[in-house]
Amino acid sequence: MIASDLVALSPLIVLSSTAVVVMLSIAIRRDHHLAALLAFLGLAAALASLRFAAAASPRRVTGLLLVDGYSLFYSAVLLLSTAAVLLLAFAYMERQQEHREEFYCLMLLAACGALVLVSSCHLVSLFLGIEILSVSLYGLIAYLRFQPLPLEAGMKYLVLAATSSAFLLFGMALLYSETGSMELSSLAKSYMGTPDPALGAVGWAGTILMLTGIGFKLAVAPFHLWTPDVYQGAPLPVTAFVATVSKGSVFALLLRWFHGADSTVSAPVYWAFVTMAIASMLIGNLLALQQENVKRLLAYSSIAHMGYLLVAFLAAGPLGIQAATYYLIAYLVTMLGVFGLMTVLSTGEEEHCELKDYRGLFWQHPVISGLFAAMLLSLAGIPLTAGFLGKFYVIAAAASSSLWLPVFVLIVSSTIGIYYYLRVIVALFSLPAEAGEREEPVRLTVPLEASFSLAALVILLFVFGLYPTPFWALIQTMSASLG
Amino acid sequence: MAFIFYASSIVAVVATLLTITRRNAIHALLYLVVSLLAIAIDFYVMGAPFVAALELIIYAGAIMVLFVFVVMMLNIGEHAAETELDVFRPRAWLGPGLLAAVLLAEVARLVSLQSGAYTGSTEISSKQVAVALFGPYVIGVELASLLLTAGLVGAYHLGRRAVSREEEIRGVDTDESRAVSRGAAVSAGAGRSSHAA
Repeated sequence: MIASDLVALSPLIVLSSTAVVVMLSIAIRRDHHLAALLAFLGLAAALASLRFAAAASPRRVTGLLLVDGYSLFYSAVLLLSTAAVLLLAFAYMERQQEHREEFYCLMLLAACGALVLVSSCHLVSLFLGIEILSVSLYGLIAYLRFQPLPLEAGMKYLVLAATSSAFLLFGMALLYSETGSMELSSLAKSYMGTPDPALGAVGWAGTILMLTGIGFKLAVAPFHLWTPDVYQGAPLPVTAFVATVSKGSVFALLLRWFHGADSTVSAPVYWAFVTMAIASMLIGNLLALQQENVKRLLAYSSIAHMGYLLVAFLAAGPLGIQAATYYLIAYLVTMLGVFGLMTVLSTGEEEHCELKDYRGLFWQHPVISGLFAAMLLSLAGIPLTAGFLGKFYVIAAAASSSLWLPVFVLIVSSTIGIYYYLRVIVALFSLPAEAGEREEPVRLTVPLEASFSLAALVILLFVFGLYPTPFWALIQTMSASLG
Repeated sequence: MAFIFYASSIVAVVATLLTITRRNAIHALLYLVVSLLAIAIDFYVMGAPFVAALELIIYAGAIMVLFVFVVMMLNIGEHAAETELDVFRPRAWLGPGLLAAVLLAEVARLVSLQSGAYTGSTEISSKQVAVALFGPYVIGVELASLLLTAGLVGAYHLGRRAVSREEEIRGVDTDESRAVSRGAAVSAGAGRSSHAA
């Protein structure tokens, strides 16, 4: 541990000490505004400290963490996503009959876990990062502890996440006993490359168990069963966090793990990922068709999007990394936007998540409905939005690696997907119900900080869709540090 | 001492299976203690006496005592005396006792062996563990502390007594408002319904 190690880790140090400061400030004086302000300042300081960390990178800190261009890039993305969630959550938490300050402490700790994941290069930091993230999420999902749905969702997540962690840990133990190494890069070598590497039955069992654990965290089929219930039960800002930061960090880890090695994945691992990708795309899109609850619909949609991401992940070489990163960021922006708009629309105690709550919304709140429609079109992959270019890059990368079967399923399933996104949009723009049934239109005041966050997300959505060149160049520089 | 390793592994597996199939919490806890003791012996035989000691002190000692306390606190009521008597019937302690006797015999054998008790290639001393933890793995220790903070804050929030916000703002703690908030908590609990599709 020398000074430049500490500088390289400064984003993590700033973020975790902010969590402690928020905790201490709660002990001294409970103040929602203060806690939120401290958390936001901490995130901003962590973002600023990325500059100094970049000066010290690339640097391997004590074998557990690797700070390089890739991890710094993803750290910035995750910190910005967390900041967007915090801005959207403030007004939502203000309405809750509950202590609200711990929310920020848990959110910061969860972001710490995500940051550890994106810079981890060792099984120990991988596991600790995943656990910090999950344990914070137990508290966050069940945060509104006197409502039945969040409690049920929290309990489900607790049991299933603990089970999947057990799978992950057991897989790690088996792989370690076979290879004698806990470094991700040297572990990756043991099942990369063609012809098939010499890995014993124990090693393969360990690999499969680890993929199961990771698959659960990513919520890809067939490990997706928790997703709809947890999405539906969790408070809206937390749902946004689970859908974006939690999944994004695990995916970034997977990308580094498998793309860090030079060779392509071996046949068994390749087919495992192809199966997961195809199953996720089909199951996610087909089950979303008949959902009446928008949160559940988005949950199935996110399963499908993880399937698309896995297709990009399978594409070899730097193009695969770049396409996956671009798609992931487009997905983060869009999901944050959708959940942010839902948070803004949910005034009062109740969340507005049923499809019928959105019927005829356009005639009351045209701007918000327009933005909502734009976000959904981006999820569906309609041109001019970030989602379209993301899907374009994914298909380009997959086609250049001749992944014809996944590409075919991707095209078919995203065509199916358009149906349910359009279903929500049709509901938005359909004429309101009879005058008698409809109560007086509610006046909606969008809080300043939430509108700032939403405006940034909408601008990003269209910039990524219309003028991606500077951003694409940034991703290319980042992926160079990985390859 | 491969035999001792496999014997205590079997004890651990059997005890854990019995733990998750018992309907009575105290019975399950007794089997869980036995399972943890068996794992401690496994660690010892594999050449990790420090981990074995930690397993005994932390899991079989501290955490099990906490478990038993909580179960006993939940049992306060008219039937408390009956349930406590139930623990002393042979049906309850015979199984865990037998398994623990196997472990005791193994420990006696290990003590009589004096040397060469380890199947692992080397014995890992507590000093080596400390050097590893505070050398290459020091970030792991720090991350584990973050993990505990997250668990602590979450548990504190979820386990807190029901306090309504108005009550807290006014700083009054009247019986009436507390009764109201408790009523809300009860109704929230009673209104649970499954929403799985």
